[in-house]
Amino acid sequence: MELQFTQDEQAFRAEVRNYLLANVPERIRTAVYQEQPLPRAWTVEAQRILNRAGYAVPHWPLEWGGRDWSAVKRAILAEEIDRNAVPKPLAFNVALVGPVIAAFGSEAQKRRFLPAIANLDLWFCQGFSEPNAGSDLASLKTSAVREGDAYRVNGQKIWTTYAHEADWIFCLVRTSQEARKQQGISFLLIDLATPGIEVRPIRSIDGFHHLNEVHFDNVLVSADNLVGEEGKGWDYARYLLGQERTSMGNVGFTRRRLDRVRALAEQASGEHGAQLIDDPAFRRRLTWAEIELKALEITQMRVVASAPVQGIDPKTSILKTEGGELLQRAAELLIDTLGPGALTAGFPEASEDALFDGLDARSGIVSAYFSSRKYSIFGGSNEIQRNILAGSVLRLGRPS
Amino acid sequence: MNFDPSEEQILLADMAGRLLASHATQTVRDPAAEWRDCLDQGLIGLPFTEAQGGFDGGPEEVMIVMEAMGRHLSQAPYLQSVLLAGRTLALAGADEALTGLLAVGARHALALFEPGQRYRWDAPATRAEPTAEGWTISGAKVAVLDHDGETVLLCPAATPRGLGLFLIPPGTSNVLLAIQPTPDGRHATDVTLDAVTLPPEAAIGDPARNRAILAEAVDGAILGACAEMVGAMEQLLAITVDYLNVRQQFGAVIGSFQALQHRAADMLIAIERARSIMIYAASMMEAPEARRSVAVAAAKALVNRSARFVGQQAIQLHGGMGLASDYPAGRYFQRLTVLGMLFGDTDHQRAVVAAGGGWAG
Ligand SMILES: Cc1cc2nc3c(=O)[nH]c(=O)nc-3n(C[C@H](O)[C@H](O)[C@H](O)COP(=O)(O)OP(=O)(O)OC[C@H]3O[C@@H](n4cnc5c(N)ncnc54)[C@H](O)[C@@H]3O)c2cc1C
Repeated sequence: MELQFTQDEQAFRAEVRNYLLANVPERIRTAVYQEQPLPRAWTVEAQRILNRAGYAVPHWPLEWGGRDWSAVKRAILAEEIDRNAVPKPLAFNVALVGPVIAAFGSEAQKRRFLPAIANLDLWFCQGFSEPNAGSDLASLKTSAVREGDAYRVNGQKIWTTYAHEADWIFCLVRTSQEARKQQGISFLLIDLATPGIEVRPIRSIDGFHHLNEVHFDNVLVSADNLVGEEGKGWDYARYLLGQERTSMGNVGFTRRRLDRVRALAEQASGEHGAQLIDDPAFRRRLTWAEIELKALEITQMRVVASAPVQGIDPKTSILKTEGGELLQRAAELLIDTLGPGALTAGFPEASEDALFDGLDARSGIVSAYFSSRKYSIFGGSNEIQRNILAGSVLRLGRPS
Repeated sequence: MNFDPSEEQILLADMAGRLLASHATQTVRDPAAEWRDCLDQGLIGLPFTEAQGGFDGGPEEVMIVMEAMGRHLSQAPYLQSVLLAGRTLALAGADEALTGLLAVGARHALALFEPGQRYRWDAPATRAEPTAEGWTISGAKVAVLDHDGETVLLCPAATPRGLGLFLIPPGTSNVLLAIQPTPDGRHATDVTLDAVTLPPEAAIGDPARNRAILAEAVDGAILGACAEMVGAMEQLLAITVDYLNVRQQFGAVIGSFQALQHRAADMLIAIERARSIMIYAASMMEAPEARRSVAVAAAKALVNRSARFVGQQAIQLHGGMGLASDYPAGRYFQRLTVLGMLFGDTDHQRAVVAAGGGWAG
């Protein structure tokens, strides 16, 4: 065992932080700190700054821009990016589709896509969920029928984050009907500019537009854009979901939110002249969140720094649920610092999107509270994670 | 005890429910039309005495109407203009202004909160100085719900003789409004008063009694907010149960999964608990101020806590659909969140109960 960060790891942390603070413009970090939706160009700008230093895709194979850094170092990197309010490298690109192409794609696909994905020259979104296939993803119906050297795609995806900003979408599509619904699914890359695709906005309860429906009406996609083998899409999706676990707990993000809670509570007056931070009830809640975050930090490191577990690692599901719930708790503390002022702290009206004028210390907090409910829903809901813990890990109801 | 509504109360619930439901089904809501209907149907006059031109409704009737407001996500400024500002006018004997509210629905708003004071409203930093022509008033107020450029502002301010209450008509010079949309589709306003000059008759009430007047109006409005939240929670649970019974995943309705059944059952428990403490507060509205305020604070604390749980779980049980702003669940969650932040959050209200020195039972 080695329960401390080594000197080398500490030096790495300092090096990362210095680079981020010296290179990522303050305007971008302020917008992230205030949890504003970023203009597309800023997201791209930030990822290119990270990519230049090898920080965008360190977990990829070396030949495609990866680094031979330990998982601990990668976790440190992820934490510093979040904690210093630097936009994370676009997860759909670097954590999801990139590793799948690197592992299963053809040489031509790797050459065409991987450098562009790493540098955010191409923006990918994720087309998995459908109206009737959410938690039960394997029920997906969007079909891709082979016609010569192309697929004809019909169907609908939903909850597609940033489809309105993206250039391409990676989709799970049904290429054949099999007895097991997990079979007959394929992994297809689709250019969103292809005729027959319509992206419709879904406004969410935080007042912003991040989500979309994506409709496919007789869309012809070259068979060159099939990743790996036809019918193996489910395996690739499982591979993808098991990838980058170094930032799964969102430790740096929660840390940043709790830092903001503390900063606001030190400025805000509580009642009877004291500061909010001195209010015993508020302080107790903040302290609990900080204690739990410390435990989560260690759980996160145990996940990345221990020898791989045979079979399912229960810590993954624990990290996902605890990380999400703690982020939600931090958002509650944030909104609670506002008191009655929450009503005028600002909320995007249905007619407009992000506005960057008139932002202040309270900006983005109310929206962040609402949008944070998503952390227990997407990427395998907390109920699904608990089903995994109870069933596959504790083997409840399945005596051997 | 008897918790069953009287025949008249059933009629009132039906009338309010029908009226508000008719607005809830509009694709684009029209708060002004909703407010006019409230006026025409006598809802605005409800909590005032006959002598004042009202219909003598008590806390039970207010609960009935406010539950309907919550159930149908009313956009009418009832909580603000009737229960908060209107009742303040009545208690302060501001008959002319009250007549404007009751006869033509002239909207009023009470500016309770100030920057840096959180939920304390009884020691405003806003000051009103007597002058030869009347008053000069300066200060800042935050988060005045449903206040805009056409609303009469009721403004508490410190005066040399104690807590003053001032009526500031719309369009008064040197009054700056920063109007913001609230997450629940209404608006709230921060107000800056920069040496605003007012005539002598702008002062209403009596500095010796104004604190008690405000406390009574605020407690009545908190009860109203609790009822609105209970109504909204019940409707949100109904929407959620309907969804659980139609949404299918893994070849079954998700309402057949025991984890979700138990969550819905916990929501029901939280709502019934909230209703009980609200009823307790309603029963204490005639008690002396100290006991009344503790009861009302206890109600708001527990209703707030229930509302946070019920709102968050409703979203969770809807999955992605819960995050979509066009789907009703999210709008109820937004309304519950706004009401939870109004008058006092859970920590604040619990502290009021604790400071009340033991249970007033
Ligand atoms: C903000 C946001 C962004 C998203 N972005 C994307 C994206 O970019 N691309 C994409 O493909 N998808 C995306 N999603 C979709 C997301 O992955 C799904 O919402 C998620 O898989 C849940 O599916 P669902 O919404 O259909 O809910 P459902 O599966 O219908 O779930 C409804 C409720 O039932 C519960 N439930 C379901 N099955 C069980 C069970 N067996 N036992 C107990 N409880 C159960 C769930 O936990 C939930 O509480 C996004 C979602 C959100 C909220």
